[in-house]
Amino acid sequence: MDVFLNLLLSVIRLCTPIFVAGLGNMFCERVGVLNLGAEGMMISGAFMAVLGSYMTGNAWCGVLCGILGGIAAGGIHALVCVEFGGLHAISGLGLTMFCRGVTKFLCVAIFGSTYSPYVSALQTTDILAKLPMAGSYLAQLSPLVYAAILLGIGAHYIVFHTTYGLRMRALGDDPRAVETAGIDVWKMRYSGVLICGALCGLAGAYMGLGQLDRYFDGMISGKGMIAVIAVKMGNWSPLGIFLTALLLGLFDVIQLKLQISKTLALSPEMLAMIPYLAGIAVLCMKRKQGSRPTALDTVYLRNRYKL
Amino acid sequence: MKNRTKSPASGRTVTRQQVVNLIVPFLLIFLSFLLSSVWIVMMGKNPVEAFAVLFKGAFGSSANLVGTIKKSVPIAFCTFAIIVSMKGNAFNIGAEGQFAFGAIGATLAGNLIQGLPSPLCIALCMLAGALFGMLFGLFPTIMHRSHGVDLLVIFLLMNNVAEYFLQYFVLDLFKSENALVPSSRPIQPAAELPYLLGPPYRMTIAILFVLVCAVVLSWFFNKTVAGYEMRAVGQNRDAAFYAGIPTGRYTSMALLISCALAGIGGSLEVLGNYHCLYTEISPGFGYDGIPIALLCDANPLLAVIGSISFGALRNGSLSLQAKMGLSSEIVSVIQGSLILVIASNYFIRYLLNRRKRG
Repeated sequence: MDVFLNLLLSVIRLCTPIFVAGLGNMFCERVGVLNLGAEGMMISGAFMAVLGSYMTGNAWCGVLCGILGGIAAGGIHALVCVEFGGLHAISGLGLTMFCRGVTKFLCVAIFGSTYSPYVSALQTTDILAKLPMAGSYLAQLSPLVYAAILLGIGAHYIVFHTTYGLRMRALGDDPRAVETAGIDVWKMRYSGVLICGALCGLAGAYMGLGQLDRYFDGMISGKGMIAVIAVKMGNWSPLGIFLTALLLGLFDVIQLKLQISKTLALSPEMLAMIPYLAGIAVLCMKRKQGSRPTALDTVYLRNRYKL
Repeated sequence: MKNRTKSPASGRTVTRQQVVNLIVPFLLIFLSFLLSSVWIVMMGKNPVEAFAVLFKGAFGSSANLVGTIKKSVPIAFCTFAIIVSMKGNAFNIGAEGQFAFGAIGATLAGNLIQGLPSPLCIALCMLAGALFGMLFGLFPTIMHRSHGVDLLVIFLLMNNVAEYFLQYFVLDLFKSENALVPSSRPIQPAAELPYLLGPPYRMTIAILFVLVCAVVLSWFFNKTVAGYEMRAVGQNRDAAFYAGIPTGRYTSMALLISCALAGIGGSLEVLGNYHCLYTEISPGFGYDGIPIALLCDANPLLAVIGSISFGALRNGSLSLQAKMGLSSEIVSVIQGSLILVIASNYFIRYLLNRRKRG
């Protein structure tokens, strides 16, 4: 029982960043903007969160900085894709490269190496320790995990039960119809991408302050891409994304456990491939398009910019 | 991007369009330098001085120039890889992974093939690199064609897989017992590329392969039927399909050729530069190809110039680190902002055209 619960805790810890970043990407893709820059937003969020915590000494200020860092990166993506009519995939790639370069550059400039020092973090929720029965287990999770659960429920409500969500879903399928109905397509798209930036920033902040208590170069290592896959596999709904994130988190845990226990005579580098191979397998098994927003990855230009 | 710019009817405006087409790449490069200098200023350094150091580090002496050319070889092959995939209406951002696998293939072949004359051995090693690159790209290509899997996502994941496999190969499977830096077993001398310029410079004939490849690609796309049909698929898939061109086959073919080219790039890096395999064999060459291919509008001959300038950027950034204490990571910043401004290319053209009209 104890082993099982500990396993569950590790799965939850590792699936949280995928889930939160996936939620963000869902908002982005629902408004019709493809986001391959999730990786960059997460890097920016993680770095800013650790930097904020380092500067202020308060981890919650760090989380706020992380979210702002994610929004800043999301703002670049929104500007290029929504305002300037750029190609989404290229902008996303550029954003990831840009964020990776800038954070490494700043990390070396501020901390003097590609590792940051240890900062105050949010690895446990001490308030829950007093609860009977499960208290000792629940306290082992970061408060950001609980925030993620609330965000998931909130996202489900917003997407399926509010006017904003209805407009968002319509926008993902047919921007022209939405514009004809008198809704500002670009404002909606901006909001979707910026929400995505905030959530990816939070996911990055969780990785920097919830899982670890420091930043190092390359710590996000492909989690953003895994989140993009989780959205596709999760059929663009929060519940689906949660289940996919759990599955992908499970593979991550298996990989880590195998590395530590050395039961299989495989090198750690081979095992580190497992989560990515699982991601590829998941991607390839997804045959049906499901409720894929049909206007995903399309440019919708303001009239005044048309030549 | 092409079909979005409507060419105006009158002859005079068409020449204006040509002027704009000529200006835009330089403007984009200038803008990206401007965006990167923001970070240099934030560090309290003078950006003009920094770029002067960068330029001097790339072209200042003959040794620096040779270093730049050496660096531009792998970049050029990755650019060719992306150009070919773009011509076939796909986008190969897995060049990084295929590059690593090409390097692995060449290292294996360079170790296992014994007792052959040097030119034959080199040819076989390069062939092994091309094959390994192609095999690594085979699975995504098949999945894309048969199941419509998103190419960008699967290639980015494959790059992660390749990165770990390369580490496994170098650190475990094929490691050298008596090396100071973790590296694979060295290839045998017969497989090493001959020098074009002697030992102080150590420039190999790899750059000649780049030039030959550029000419061959240019010939293929402009003078052969297959190249013409592939270009047709790349420019307008539907029109090509209705003209009876097997579009799916051409896209897959373009992707596989593209993967093979990236693999050759990796093999040349092993055969010419290092003579063994390190985990850091590619500091992101595969991603360098993307902005170059987009800037030179998928023209293989212009790509050579683009690759040399990106090689200059990488080579010059080393002296930037040594002389000004700025992280050489500024290269990724410049590249990232370059890709971002390339993505906003349409808006910049709009601004230019509006000013000319008014």
